[in-house]
Amino acid sequence: MIELQLLLGGLQNGALYALTAAGFALIFGATKVFHVAHGATFTLAGYVFIGAWNAGWHPALGVLAAMAAAVAFGIAMERLVYRPIGRHEGGFFTVFVAAFGVSIVVQNVIAMIAGRGFANVDSPLATATEVMPDLFLAPVFWISIVAAVAMFLALTIFLSRHPAGVALRALAQNADLLRAYGLSSGKLSVLAFALGSVLAAPAAILTAMTSGINEAIGNHVMLISMAATIVGGVGSLRGAALAGLLLGVAESVVLVFLDTQWAEGASFMVLFAFILFRPSGMFGAAVAR
Amino acid sequence: MNSTRRLLLGSALAAPFARPSFAQSGDPYVIGTLFPMSGTNAEYGTVFTSGAQLAIQHIEADRMLRRPIRLQAEDTQALPQQAVVGMQKLVNVDHAAWTLVGFTAVSKAVAPIGDRAKTVMVNGGAVGPDLSGLSPYFWNVIPLAHLETRALLPFLTRERRVKRVALVYVDDPLGDAILSELRNELPRNGAELVGSFSIPRTAQQFGPVAARVRQARPDAVYIASFGAQQSQIIKGLRDNGVSTLLCSYSAMGLDSVRSLPEAEGLVFTAQKMDFSGGDELTKRFATDFQARFNRAPTIYNANYYNATRMFGLLAQGIEQAGGTVNGETMRAALLQRRRFDLVGGTGEFDDKGDMMAAIEVLEYRGGRAQRLAG
Repeated sequence: MIELQLLLGGLQNGALYALTAAGFALIFGATKVFHVAHGATFTLAGYVFIGAWNAGWHPALGVLAAMAAAVAFGIAMERLVYRPIGRHEGGFFTVFVAAFGVSIVVQNVIAMIAGRGFANVDSPLATATEVMPDLFLAPVFWISIVAAVAMFLALTIFLSRHPAGVALRALAQNADLLRAYGLSSGKLSVLAFALGSVLAAPAAILTAMTSGINEAIGNHVMLISMAATIVGGVGSLRGAALAGLLLGVAESVVLVFLDTQWAEGASFMVLFAFILFRPSGMFGAAVAR
Repeated sequence: MNSTRRLLLGSALAAPFARPSFAQSGDPYVIGTLFPMSGTNAEYGTVFTSGAQLAIQHIEADRMLRRPIRLQAEDTQALPQQAVVGMQKLVNVDHAAWTLVGFTAVSKAVAPIGDRAKTVMVNGGAVGPDLSGLSPYFWNVIPLAHLETRALLPFLTRERRVKRVALVYVDDPLGDAILSELRNELPRNGAELVGSFSIPRTAQQFGPVAARVRQARPDAVYIASFGAQQSQIIKGLRDNGVSTLLCSYSAMGLDSVRSLPEAEGLVFTAQKMDFSGGDELTKRFATDFQARFNRAPTIYNANYYNATRMFGLLAQGIEQAGGTVNGETMRAALLQRRRFDLVGGTGEFDDKGDMMAAIEVLEYRGGRAQRLAG
C-alpha cells in the first residue's frame, strides 16, 4: 500500500509542478526569454491568495486576485524589464541577471510586507483521511488533478482554435515570418507572459494549502520548472507538463527503494538521465550538427 | 569687539558638534551578526537581531561604555559558504570586536576564522552538541541539543509512555547530532528509535515522508529541523495522517510554529526562563521588548540580548581597568568573572565558554507554550 500512497502523493505534487513548468515553457517557447522570475510569479500569487484568505475574502475572489497578480506581474516583467533590454540588444546573460534581480526584490518586498518565514492557508481541504487501510488522501489531491487537467485542456483549446493562440504558436516557430504577415510580436509576447503566469497561480494556491510557502520558495519552483522544461524538450508545452508530472512522481516513488534523503535527488537523476541519453527531451526535436 | 564676535560665531558653528562631557566618543565598537536575513530561515534573523538591538539600546541608555556600538549585519542565509564570506568581512574590514552567530553549520564554518583572528563569537541559537569547545573564542549562551534531548526523553518515556520514536531530521550537523543522541539515549530510557528519515535542507514536500513515518508505527515523532521547513514538516505530517505525538527542541519557539494549528500538542524543550516574574533585568527586558517590537519576547530574543549584554559587561570591566577591548582581554575577563547578571537570572560559564541553563519541557496548547516539566 505504501507504493500506491507514494504514487498518488507524487501525482498530486506532479500536477502542480506540471502547471508551473508549462507556464515557464510557454513563455520560453514563444518569446525565447529565459524568465527566471517565473518563481517570483509563483510566490507572489501564493502570498496574494494567503492575504485574501486571511482578510476573510471568499476563496473564489482570492483565486481571482492571485491570478490577476500573477498576470500583472508577468506582463510588467515583459513590458518593463525584458522589452527595454531587448531594444538594446541585451543578451541572454543580461536578461537572466535582470530577472534574477527582480526575483530577489520580490522576495524581499514580500518578506517586508508579509513577514519572513512560513505562511500557509489553514484549510480542511488539505487534511487527509484514511480512504483505505493505510491509504490517506486529502480533497486537495482531487482538486490538484482536476485543476491541472482543466487548465491544460483550456490552454490546448486556446492554442489550437483561437486565432491569438495560433498566432502564439506561430511566434514560437518563426517570429520574423509572423511580423512579415503584419502581426504584432509585442502583443503576442504580452499574451504569452499573461498565459504562462496565470498557470502558476493555481499551483501556488494549492501549495499554500498543502505544504505552505515562504518568500524564498520561488528558487525551488524555478529549479523544478527548468528541469521539467529540459526533460520535456525545450519549447514543448505538453513535454514540460508531462515532465513536471514525471518529476513529481519520481521524487515520491523513489522512497519505495531509497532513503527519504533522495526524494529531491530523484528529480535531478531523471534530468541527468535525459541530458545524457536524450538531450532533446521527451518531445523536443533533435538538432542536426 | 572683533574677538567677541569671532567667539560667538565660532560657538554658534560648533554648537551642533558639541557633546556633553559624559557622552560616548571615539570609533564605535563593532558587533557583527551572522544571521540569515533572507531565504527560508530569515525569520530567525529577524528574531535574533531584535534581541541584540534591545541590548544595545540598554547598554547605551545605561552609558555602560565610553564608545558607541555599531551593529553590523552580514546575511548568511543560514549557509556556511555565505557565513564564511561574512565573517571574513567582519574580521578584516569592519574589525568587529564581537560577533553573534547562530545555526550549527554556520557556527562550525566561521569558528576557525574567529579563532585565528581572536574574535569572540557568541551563539544563542544553534544547539549542535559539537559547538561546545569549538574554539576558546566560541561561547554558547544556549544549552546544546544533547542537554535538550536528555531533558526530553525521560519525560516522553515516563509521562507519555513513549516506547517507539521516529526521527525526521535535516541533513546537516544539527540533524546528525540529534540522530546520534537519540540512538544513544533512547535505549537508556527504555525506548527505541524505530525509524530515521533524513531530509535535505531544501526539501519542501513532506507527504511522501509522512507515508514512510506512518509505516514505522512510532509512538512519537521527533523533528530535528529549523526555519520554514520545520513548519512544513509539522503540517506535512499532520495533513498526511500522522496523528501521533510530535516533539522537538528549542527551534520550535518561533511565532510561525506557535500559530500553526497543526502544532497543537507539540512537545518541545527550551531554556527555562520566566519573563513575567524574576529579577529587575528580566522584567525590564520583557517590558521594553514589548514596547519596542510590539510583541512578547521569546527565548531567542533573550539569548541574543544576553549575548550582546555580555559584550557590554565585559567591555565595561576592561575599560574601567584601563585595558584594551579585544578578544583576548574579553576571554580573560570571562574566565575570571564567570558569573553575569543576565535575562533569566545569573548566567555562569564553564571553561569552554558554555553557559549553564535549566531546561524545561513545553507543549503548545491553544497557540501558547505551556510548561509540562522542568
